[in-house]
Amino acid sequence: MKNRFSVKFGGRSGQGINTLGEFLSKALKNSGYVTFAYREYPSIIKGGFASYQIDVSSEPIFASSKYTDFLLCMTDESFDKYVNTVTKGGVVIHSIKDLKINEEDEKYIKKNKIKVIYLDAIDIAQKNDAPVIMANIVILGAFWKSINLELKVLDKIVLDYFSKKKGVDLEAEKRCLKAGYELDTIKDLKGRNLPKKKRKNWNSSLILTGNDGIALGAVVAGCRAYYAYPMTPATSILLKLGNTYMDTGIIVKQAESEITAVQMVLGSMYMGTRAFTATSGGGYDLMTESLSFSGMSEIPLVIVLSQRAGASTGVPTWTGASDLDIAVHAGHGDFPRCVMSVSDATDAYELIQDAFNIAEEYQISVTLLTEKQISESLFNIKTLPQPKKIKRGLVKNGQKRYEITSNGISPRWIPQKGKKTYLSNSDEHDEYGISTEDEKEIVEMSEKRRRKMDTLKKKLPQPKYYGDEKPTLVFVGMGSTKNVVLDAMPLTKKRLGYLHYQYIYPLKFEKILELNKQGVKIVLIENNQEGGFGKLIKEEADFYIPNTLRKYDGRPFFVDDILEYIKK
Amino acid sequence: MKIDITDYNTNVTPTWCPGCGNFNIHLALKKALVELKKSPSEVVFSFDIGCNGNGGDKIDGFRVKGLHGRAIPLAVGAHLANRKMSVIASIGDGGCLHEGIDHLIHAVRSNYDITLLIHNNQNFALTTGQITSTTIEGKEMYAFPKGKTEGNINIGELVLSLEPSFYARGYSGDIVQLTEIIKQGVKHKGFSVIEIMQLCPTYNKESNHEFFNGRISKIEKNSDIKKARSYVSNKNKLYTGIIYCNSKIKDYYSKLENRKGKKTELVNEVRNYSIKNILAD
Repeated sequence: MKNRFSVKFGGRSGQGINTLGEFLSKALKNSGYVTFAYREYPSIIKGGFASYQIDVSSEPIFASSKYTDFLLCMTDESFDKYVNTVTKGGVVIHSIKDLKINEEDEKYIKKNKIKVIYLDAIDIAQKNDAPVIMANIVILGAFWKSINLELKVLDKIVLDYFSKKKGVDLEAEKRCLKAGYELDTIKDLKGRNLPKKKRKNWNSSLILTGNDGIALGAVVAGCRAYYAYPMTPATSILLKLGNTYMDTGIIVKQAESEITAVQMVLGSMYMGTRAFTATSGGGYDLMTESLSFSGMSEIPLVIVLSQRAGASTGVPTWTGASDLDIAVHAGHGDFPRCVMSVSDATDAYELIQDAFNIAEEYQISVTLLTEKQISESLFNIKTLPQPKKIKRGLVKNGQKRYEITSNGISPRWIPQKGKKTYLSNSDEHDEYGISTEDEKEIVEMSEKRRRKMDTLKKKLPQPKYYGDEKPTLVFVGMGSTKNVVLDAMPLTKKRLGYLHYQYIYPLKFEKILELNKQGVKIVLIENNQEGGFGKLIKEEADFYIPNTLRKYDGRPFFVDDILEYIKK
Repeated sequence: MKIDITDYNTNVTPTWCPGCGNFNIHLALKKALVELKKSPSEVVFSFDIGCNGNGGDKIDGFRVKGLHGRAIPLAVGAHLANRKMSVIASIGDGGCLHEGIDHLIHAVRSNYDITLLIHNNQNFALTTGQITSTTIEGKEMYAFPKGKTEGNINIGELVLSLEPSFYARGYSGDIVQLTEIIKQGVKHKGFSVIEIMQLCPTYNKESNHEFFNGRISKIEKNSDIKKARSYVSNKNKLYTGIIYCNSKIKDYYSKLENRKGKKTELVNEVRNYSIKNILAD
């Protein structure tokens, strides 16, 4: 692909693929290249096939190409899985003894003139007095030489990392890296080269996952408690906030269930601090009664819903975006709420701050959607934006906690000694929170709550438009689909546009109708089977978009998917 | 300012049945808080759903009437946010032992500094008398003329099996003792489980005042776990009082390494923070 280069590390779970992927991303970044790293791994601890693909460019990139220029491979399973994704003239470096290549793969390799190089990496590691596991470092060194970058850049990253681990022989790591780098078989290897242009001062840029962005944004926004139950792909938010809790002072609690987690958030938010939880679809299902309770009691609530592929347990470590429908509709009864969606690490960092502001100002639940593709991929960005202003919508003290107001928002004050007490009630209630079954009061109070949606909708920003000023084709989407369409734009002469939704519900649909009026071809792009976003647009705008590009095989959209689609 | 029991009254008319144990439980609760010199605005109540939850608008204080079975985790979240408030969760035997039993178990092992009042009236009363795990075996209940098929849960045995820091048992017919138990529970720094044997004249006529009076035996505060276990497993007697107290077990918050030495509560800490130190991993 023009101006892009990609390398993939393949092996099995337990071989350190993750660590290698991070090393490579950082080392390439420190060498002056922009990277995007995408991770595939099975829902098992040891075995299966796992990979890390790092795309490299001189310009910002946020998505992966389907094909890879270099495949570094450590198991035959991952060889079989990934060899047919190597580009024409590409290179495979592997360490698989007695590798048997099937007929089909053999044909593909020949046809595409792919060089397959075997390194006895285990033997090299052992000859360098290093344990077998360090064979992966030998391969890393060999690859680094084959793209002709300075060893010391990589060396520093590897040593920095392992010097923090106990019981690792740093000198052995060093020897293995060097041995790989100095291999004769690599010296004359001609593969695809890296992009010519490097970026200046890029080594100070950041590499963050979407979940890092959420965790960091929560800290910035003054969130003081995080309660969660582990569930992929939301779990690494717990990791980030837990590993940094001595610095931040945030209470980080691994709760006994998702229901506990969300109830603890509600308790803490009721008291007037900021707290949140994160989960994936199954956990969110368990939280839905609490969503409804937040709606009725007007206790602010922030939930991150990190989506993965499939119904039920599905394919837990793979990506998808099928949960918009539950975010918008789950929970019994009528109640207001807000749904937003992040697309990358920067977006995640900013939108979690918005989520707290909106939850508190409007006294509603905010569900912040993300996807495995965003939560766990490594985004390489120059820096994070300035913190957003904290808006809480609090009053010092009051009388009627649920006062009927024209914009629907009632005064909320923090429970504290000396302040007017109140009841926050899951029963329908009057302006003081006292339970009621009076028909007039029921209508007045539920209409008051409904008015918050109208007030919020007016305040929410319009979707962001990217791309050609006079487009012939505009994709409409949310989440990670933005990244892949934006990455495809410089690779095509077609006049492409992308209308990006961060604030999903209440839905602002005017721009879609405008585009339609202009006669632009609109295509809904969704990483799911049923087209939940299209359904929401139909429901809210009474506008049906017939053209759709959908993918639901657990993989994200690759840049090639977009290029192939627009060729048609 | 002097605190009076009437400070805890609201203008909402009680909707409990005549003779319901909740009247006395509320009275004891109010008395205990007054004697502890706590004003309503220093107390947070987390009410469950059921007859006890219908007390949510009948006592003053900062109150949440939440979801069935979830009074404990909401109370914990409130407590962690601001320890200056006394947090009391109130739940029935149905909500506590059925819908939300996991919360009870984990709260005991976590030892959060809150007080739990389990209103044990041996049935789901607000939904008109269904079986719970404390319902008398063989007793005809809603939809089950032959009584329950399942076995029982002995709250005391369950709680004591988890090495709690505080377990007490009171009786809604003894306001004086119940007041004292609640006072001790609120003062105790840790998770105070207070089981209240509660009269339910509508759906549990068998467990009436005579029944309890014939069986209750009051004990002094006890800190011997073996003795405590023998109290609660006694088939003939119902021991009341502070069955077990162990003040040596630290409460959850006190054990949080990253909160040591912090003078503020989470509610005072909402502001923009720098992430400079935590950007890199």
